Amino acid sequence: MKIKLQHVLMLVALLALPFFTQEDRFLGFILGVTLLSVFWATGMNILYGFVGLMPLMFAAISGIAAYALLYFIAQWHIDFWQALPLATLFASLIGVLLGLPSIRLKGFYFTLCSLIIQSTITLAFIFFPTFTNGDTGINQISPPLWMGEPIKGFIFECILSVLAVTGIVLAYFIYNSQLGQRFIAIREDDVLAESLGISVFLNRVIAFFIVSLYAAIGGCFYATYIGFISPRSFDVLSSLNIWLFVAFGGKATIAGPVIGALLLAPLPFLLQSLDAYKDILSGVLIVLITLLMPGGIYGAYLAWRNSKK
Amino acid sequence: MDALLLLIASTVSTGLLLGAIFALVAAGVTIVYGCIWLPNASNGQFFVLSGLVAWGLTSSYGFNSFTACLIVLAASILLSLVFESLLFRRLYNVPDRNISYFVITLGLTQVMSGVFSMTFSKWSDQFSLPPLIQGVTMIGPFPMTNNRILVLAIAYTSLAILFLLLRYHPIGRAIRAVFQNREAALLRGVNVHSIYKISFVLGSTIIYLGGLLYALAYSFDLSIAWTMSITAFAIMIVGGPGSVLGALVIGLIFGFTQAIVSNFTSPTVATFSYLFAMLLILLIKPNGLFLK
Repeated sequence: MKIKLQHVLMLVALLALPFFTQEDRFLGFILGVTLLSVFWATGMNILYGFVGLMPLMFAAISGIAAYALLYFIAQWHIDFWQALPLATLFASLIGVLLGLPSIRLKGFYFTLCSLIIQSTITLAFIFFPTFTNGDTGINQISPPLWMGEPIKGFIFECILSVLAVTGIVLAYFIYNSQLGQRFIAIREDDVLAESLGISVFLNRVIAFFIVSLYAAIGGCFYATYIGFISPRSFDVLSSLNIWLFVAFGGKATIAGPVIGALLLAPLPFLLQSLDAYKDILSGVLIVLITLLMPGGIYGAYLAWRNSKK
Repeated sequence: MDALLLLIASTVSTGLLLGAIFALVAAGVTIVYGCIWLPNASNGQFFVLSGLVAWGLTSSYGFNSFTACLIVLAASILLSLVFESLLFRRLYNVPDRNISYFVITLGLTQVMSGVFSMTFSKWSDQFSLPPLIQGVTMIGPFPMTNNRILVLAIAYTSLAILFLLLRYHPIGRAIRAVFQNREAALLRGVNVHSIYKISFVLGSTIIYLGGLLYALAYSFDLSIAWTMSITAFAIMIVGGPGSVLGALVIGLIFGFTQAIVSNFTSPTVATFSYLFAMLLILLIKPNGLFLK
């Protein structure tokens, strides 16, 4: 496994980004959301890009983690850093449990199954308001503490950039490890992989667990960074948006999801006047990407570079 | 005692009507899926679109319901042809196209719901069409509006026509041949791509018709779109993707479920039960109840 210079440069650039938006709170907030999107997109890419399953229940797992985090904090009077691993583990186990039966399916049927699970959980968020406060959502979530000081603004963005970089590095190691190669073998031909002694079921469960971890950790940081969550923050559209980051940037590559999230996540904030058109714009992008550029931007770039050689 | 009888009668009539509309929409979805492998996730938006346009024609331009519905149906055929030639034709020869189609129609759902919330939801939040005919008929001791009886009749006639078309007409037989085996149909001289086009137009038109009938019988808001999408998918999966008979039977069952459940609690409980039924079938018998 060789480590390329441009990869290192990309990570350093990501780490340095918060320093550029230190002065401006608005830009800083956009950056924070974008870094979270980078983390989420990298996570979804492990299942969508490497294993070849499209999990539309991604946002639901984030939501479960976020609500569990707030519940644990309020119920057991523990702080964010103690509740984070608990909520993450809880949501990931729920995610694996929910995904377990659907893991045997593939392609369209898996996606449909995950869409059903996502819809069910969104409905459950709305109709069981004991934990979630229903459609109104929970606001004024207190930020995590560090040495007795609440983490806000610039420091939080630094933490998020470290989180994003950790996520990318982890995905890179998975991609280059034997595990990642098994994932790709399953994506290419699951019958052949099975006949070579790779347990399709077990590896898919592992992938599902890793992806749920990404979703859940992202959900916990999202809740405390934004300070407000509602069932709408974790609905089908959020899952589709994260999928769009992956597909737009380029699935099954490390750089693709990062590029996709960096380009698309800030758009709705930067084009405030276009806010009403946000859904339409992302819908049009989804259609166009699927029809015309299945490999995404980075995939198209790689194809162009290979054709020049 | 009388109140109970009345409740049962209203449940039965609602169940019959909802069941027929569900069956129509699900038949539209399942024909398109069985033929082209196109799981139309935006069927709920199509469903709402026809009702909304007919509402606009009747309320703003003074058309009566009958003319408005005819105009919408004619326009819907054109719209389906446009969708087919712009979007769906491009992927006809891709082997794993159902997932791409699913994603495309999810994107289309997002576009259409965005457009609706920018236009129609600014003009009104409840939509309904004026009745086709006036008056009330007594069926035994139970009053029923003539309009609803007519809607019921149109719904079941359309279902019967659809069934006969698929069973006996050469085009219907060609569509069923493509369901069963594309290559064999091709070898027997069926023009598969034109059958794809016909089945997409046919399926979409049935969905639009379902939307019109729903708008004639009930008033609706925009949230019905997503519920309808989920319901139609649930019916298709439980009945068996590509099985029109399955769509009819399961559609009726789901319609009655919704009518019965609505007497006691919120219709959302019915949606929950559809989701669970779909999940169970996907996990236990992915081919559905009506396919071998």
